[in-house]
Order: sequence, then C-alpha cells, then structure tokens
Amino acid sequence: MTDLAYLGVAEGAALIRAKRLSPVEWTRALLDRIAAIDADYNAFLVVTAERALAQAKTAEAEIAKGRWRGPMHGVPYAAKDIFDIEGMATTCHSKIRMNHRAAADAFVVKKLRDAGAVLLGKVALHEFATGGPAFDLPWPPARNPWNRDLHPGGSSSGSGSALAAGMTPAALGTDTGGSVRNPATCCGIVGMKPTYGAISLAGVFPLTYSLDHVGPMTRTVEYNAILFHAIAGHDPHDPTSTRRDTPDCLTELKSGLKGPRIGVVEHFYTEDAAADLDQVRAIGEAAGVLQRLGAHVKAIRLSPLSLWTDCNRTIHQAESYAIHEKDVQERPEDFAALTRNRLLPGAFVSSAKYIKAQQLRAALCREFAEAMRDLDAVITLSSLLLPCRIDDPAAIAKTYDQQCRLVFNVTGTPAISVPTGFTASGIPLAMQIAGRAFGEPMVYRIAQGYCEATGFAGKRPPIRLPERAAARV
Amino acid sequence: MNDTPTASDTVRLLAEQQGLGKALKLFPDGVKAAAERGLRPLGEFPKGTTSLNSPAPIFDPAQFERAK
Repeated sequence: MTDLAYLGVAEGAALIRAKRLSPVEWTRALLDRIAAIDADYNAFLVVTAERALAQAKTAEAEIAKGRWRGPMHGVPYAAKDIFDIEGMATTCHSKIRMNHRAAADAFVVKKLRDAGAVLLGKVALHEFATGGPAFDLPWPPARNPWNRDLHPGGSSSGSGSALAAGMTPAALGTDTGGSVRNPATCCGIVGMKPTYGAISLAGVFPLTYSLDHVGPMTRTVEYNAILFHAIAGHDPHDPTSTRRDTPDCLTELKSGLKGPRIGVVEHFYTEDAAADLDQVRAIGEAAGVLQRLGAHVKAIRLSPLSLWTDCNRTIHQAESYAIHEKDVQERPEDFAALTRNRLLPGAFVSSAKYIKAQQLRAALCREFAEAMRDLDAVITLSSLLLPCRIDDPAAIAKTYDQQCRLVFNVTGTPAISVPTGFTASGIPLAMQIAGRAFGEPMVYRIAQGYCEATGFAGKRPPIRLPERAAARV
Repeated sequence: MNDTPTASDTVRLLAEQQGLGKALKLFPDGVKAAAERGLRPLGEFPKGTTSLNSPAPIFDPAQFERAK
C-alpha cells in the first residue's frame, strides 16, 4: 500500500497520471493526517479542506478526460501565509493583518492553480517573516517534528514542519536572510532560495524588497526542482522579475558529479564564528563524499561572515522598517516582542548607512562573482548551531544570526539547504550548496548527486499518530 | 551643573524624533537596544573597495519604459 503521507511530488504525479492514484484520495489522506496530528505541530494556520477537495476532484476529472496539465497536476501543496490567495486573509501570522482580504492570487499561487495543484491550506511563519517563534500572537508557533521542544527554523516554519511531518509533499516559503533554508535545515528537508528575480514576488507581503526571494520546499531535491519549474518564470507585474527563460533544472539533474568544481567556504565556520561540532563534522564528510563522487573540491576565501551579516542586516533593518513604520509607531504592542525587537533598529539606521550597505552589497557581489570564475558551486554551512529550545527567547535571539545563509541573499544567487545527517540525539544537520546567478541547474545537480549518495534527504521523524487516526492515515 | 545629555536622553530624543514615543513608553529597553543596533557603524569594506569607488545602485529611467 502506498504511504500517502510521505508520497513525493514525482511519484504521486506519476501515479495520478497513470490513473493508479486519485488526487482526491491523496488530498483526503493528507487532510485526515493534518486533522490527526497538527495539534502537536501547529504547522497550519488555515486548512482549506473544501477548496482542496474541489480542486482535487477537478484534477481527477480533467486527467480522466486525458487533459494532463503537467507534473503538479493533482499534487497537494501548502503556502506560507504571506502569499495572497484571493478572498483569504494574508495574515503574515500577525494580529495586525487578521482582517486583511486578498483581492487576487499571488503570481506563484496562480501558477500552481493553473498547473492543477491542490492547495491544502496556509501555514505558519514567524510574524511578517521576521522575529521568531512567538507565543504572544493569535496563533501558536509551528513545532519541529524531530523534537517538539526545538525551534523548527524560520521564518517559513510551518512549511518546514508540515513537510517533515508528512502533512504535505510540497510547500512555498520566502527567504530574506535564510527563511526557506533555515526551516529546511532544522526540519531535515530540502529548501531552495533561487536567483533573485527567478520567481515573482507579486502578491507576497514584503519584508525587505531587495533581499526577498520566494523558494520551493520539499523533502527531496528532485521534487524541489519540479516545484521550482512550476513557479518560476517572468511576471510583467513584478519589476524584479527576470525576462530570462527559466533554466532547465531537470534534464541534467541526475548526470552525476564527475567534473564540477566546488569551493568550500570553511572560514565562515572555522574562523569567523563558533560552530557546532556536529555541523562542522557533517559538512567535512559531505566535502569528502562530493570528492569521491568525482567533484573537484577546494577551500576558498570570501570576506568575513560578519561583513556579510552587517550588509544583510542593515538593508533588512532599513527596508523592513520602511514597510512597518506606521504600525511600529502607532501600535507597537500588537507585534510579538521578537518581531518588534527586529523591526525597531530600522528606525535608527541613517540614510548614509543604508546607502553604504547597498554599496557594500555591490562590492561583495563582485567578490563572489570573481570567486566563482573558477568554480561551479560553493558549499558552506547553513546554521552554525543546532536548533535551540523553541520557548527560550534569549537563545532564539542569540542563535538567530549565527548562520551563513544571508550571504546568498546579499549576492542574490541560488542556494539550497540539504540534509547532511543527524546528531546522536537525532537532530537534523545540513549544508548549503550555492551557485552562480541563474545557476540553479548546477546547484540542483550537485544537491541531487550528494543526496542520492548519502540518503539523508527524505528521512522521516518519529511521528506518533493518535490510535484512531493511525488506522486511516 | 552638567548640560551634557546622557546616553538615555539621546536615545529618548532620537526615538521621539522617529515617532516612537509610544514604543519608548511601553518598551523602553527594547527601544534602547534597537538604537544601539541601528546606530552601530557598518563594518569595514573589503580591501581595495570603499564607499566612494563602489557603485551605488544605479537609477535607470529607461526601465520604466521597458516595463510598459
């Protein structure tokens, strides 16, 4: 019997196309599972059960008539509640947006609707895609399926949690300083932040205009590439959207790792900042695996991690404050404390500092492009530390910036988080693989080769089902 | 008598100037910490690069015509 909870995008789509699986059956199984276990994980803010079943029935009828729309037809997914869906609130997990109603679908939501995908619901995030796992908001924070007491990563926390717990095979996230890759890292799944401009930001509530990215989240690399193709492409309504054709990430996906030249940015986690020893051990082993598979691996140097952090955070503070200034001034008490503390510094960033940060960004982008001249990709850590307790705001604040993800928001180049193993206590470990602008095919190819060789992607956390539900789900 | 403003006076003035009177009243420690973070200077530019020779984002009036 097929395990519908952990059925992947490609397998599910193939079964649906062959009429061996009904999208209605798959959708219903996932809705049942959400109903059975999500009280433990708080991944979903809203479950759109009726809409999901209607979309699944439509997909089933179309496919029965031979009208197959493509690899997302009949495939369920969840959207971070920062994407507009016509007629629904885009709450951004915030009290401030509870009464909002979206007038139209976000570009990527429309793309998925047109592709025949099935929306299961809207999932949790850190308020306005910043802050942290807050307990002073109208909804509780999403939990980590590998250990409910630990931070699931964020800000796309519900997306990571729902995927790891087998409540959806695909999810949409957003990433300004690592918000797709952090939950991917903490929840043991795969999260891609593509090139800036590759996926439209239209209909996505902004956090930081010049650093925001939409990213696909899945349990394996191949499914991620499929979802990327489904949502990428030019959008005339988004001035940041590229006019380039979306690069083909699937044809060469499984062509192996003989040949790619990979730089390891070791100094980020061996010199610039203290890192968890398990994370460091796992990425060292990963470099060895890549080398054994035929890649040419060598250490490289970039500017210190602190400079990338300074650059990202200054732009982040200034731009996010510009968006939230009125609410921070007039109703500061309505934000979660973690969010307020991340927004307030923007009030004190001078125009000179912001402009210098943008200038610094240009210099760092040139530096990265120069380093990539002789390379096809780089690897580095994602999180420097392991996820801390979800209910310890001091630890959250301390660990939030201990990461190497924001580097690739500064460069705007693609970066994916893939699992590199587990600690002795079963906590997922991860690294990033990053490439040149619009170099998604190479990033996916290396990620696929590595994950295929190690088998760390797609592992399942120990989810306990209530007895009644276990028989059905 | 010393007329030199204290650090907290400076933060209060800056915060009030930014319309953060309510936030300062409700969350004084948060506003003070935010001022420290926001006012912290940017790190040193990479060797051979300064804010004078590193190009700022370029305004391109033609992009609006292309968008049409």
